[in-house]
Amino acid sequence: MSGHSIIQVRNLSKSFGKNLVLNEISTDFEKNKVVSIIGPSGGGKSTFLRCLNLLEIPTSGQIIFDGTDLCAKDVDINKQRQRIGMVFQHFNLFNNMNVMRNLTVAPVRILGMEKEEAEAKAIKLLKRLGLEDKASSYPSQLSGGQKQRIAIVRSLMMEPDVMLFDEPTSALDPEMIGEVLDVMKMLASAGMTMIIVTHEMRFAREVSNRILFLDGGRIDEDRPADEFFDSPRSPRLISFLDKVL
Amino acid sequence: MGFFAQIAAILERYTPFFMEGVKNTLIIAALSVVLGLIFGTLMAVMRMCRIKPLKWIAVAYIEFIRGTPLMVQLMFIFYGLPMIGITFPDVSWIPNFSRFMAGIVAMSMNSCAYIAEVIRSGIQAVDSGQMEAARSIGFRYRESMTLVILPQAVKNILPALGNEFVTVIKESSIVSVIGIADLMFRTNDVIAVTYRSLPCLAIAACIYFVMTFIGGRFIALLEKRMRHERA
Repeated sequence: MSGHSIIQVRNLSKSFGKNLVLNEISTDFEKNKVVSIIGPSGGGKSTFLRCLNLLEIPTSGQIIFDGTDLCAKDVDINKQRQRIGMVFQHFNLFNNMNVMRNLTVAPVRILGMEKEEAEAKAIKLLKRLGLEDKASSYPSQLSGGQKQRIAIVRSLMMEPDVMLFDEPTSALDPEMIGEVLDVMKMLASAGMTMIIVTHEMRFAREVSNRILFLDGGRIDEDRPADEFFDSPRSPRLISFLDKVL
Repeated sequence: MGFFAQIAAILERYTPFFMEGVKNTLIIAALSVVLGLIFGTLMAVMRMCRIKPLKWIAVAYIEFIRGTPLMVQLMFIFYGLPMIGITFPDVSWIPNFSRFMAGIVAMSMNSCAYIAEVIRSGIQAVDSGQMEAARSIGFRYRESMTLVILPQAVKNILPALGNEFVTVIKESSIVSVIGIADLMFRTNDVIAVTYRSLPCLAIAACIYFVMTFIGGRFIALLEKRMRHERA
């Protein structure tokens, strides 16, 4: 293991009513590394990811982001969230704003960036993805793949220290999955710290440094990507891989 | 004399009567919706707020008002309140001011409950992912509301609010029972002097229909314009 951890998770538990979804999870996420989380549905993957930026409030445990315990009472969670990008399964672009405004509203309103500066930055990023002609479109006029790529750019505009991806390709038509994964690969090779919940096994293997298998609210296996697929140890992971590969 | 000839004769003679009724109906409907909107917004905020007692008060109010007849509410305010010492003052330069006030208070208290529900459901109909996206990028709750949620909610709320206005125009006919000279009251006046109820009621129905129809068209237009704005 090299580099220092940007997120440390300590004894994280989350229950919804009587239903224990996450059970005492502890793990570290390092800077500039890509970690994928896979596992059966209902295993707690999304809940785990959503706890990392406190979209779900953990029942107990700690999430230490760059030295700050996010669950502490005196922490301004809004300040911390600015540094944690999140990409959703259903894109969640702001429907009442065009693409340009989707990209610039947070940098301008939250970071106090000049509007012109933010727009120049947005154009630069859109050009890199070949989406500059969509700047004045509204989300309803875009394809799923375009929406998700714009959503990734929206996160990038804030220059986050880490990006969370919650099943970013699950709601896409098959022919659009590639274009989104390509953008994510680009980010990974640029050194972005990424935590990805995904069902795309090939992609996970290709892009991740490490893979977690989350099942029954616990991390059942935690290995470098190649080992994870080539020599899985946990019986549940073996049967899971049998089913999906 | 044929039916339409009767209508023509009545209109020739009593049009100013009907028009005064229309004026009062519109005043009551407009004021009730405006007041209903102000207090309805407040009620919707209470209904959704995290402070439990405020929420309970709002829920109880909304459920009670929606679950009892407007007629009872109106009677309660006009006849009931004075009995416990609460009266609306008379203002010398506005005839029948206290009657009017009772009517408007009852109508707007009623409309307030419906509007609160319209606003609440309009806000809750906005996809929860929108709020999550706004919060996850670092916006505070208030900013997320004003920048992302409310602009989308308005598109759900406005048409329903228009319908509420149309409903209030129709329902306001009930204030005639406490002696407010609205369209229904004036219609009864004309019936009383002409003994021709059918043509008079036909005239009243037509006038109500024209008012609600114009209101409805206006809302449809507004809705269409907003849809264009989005795309």
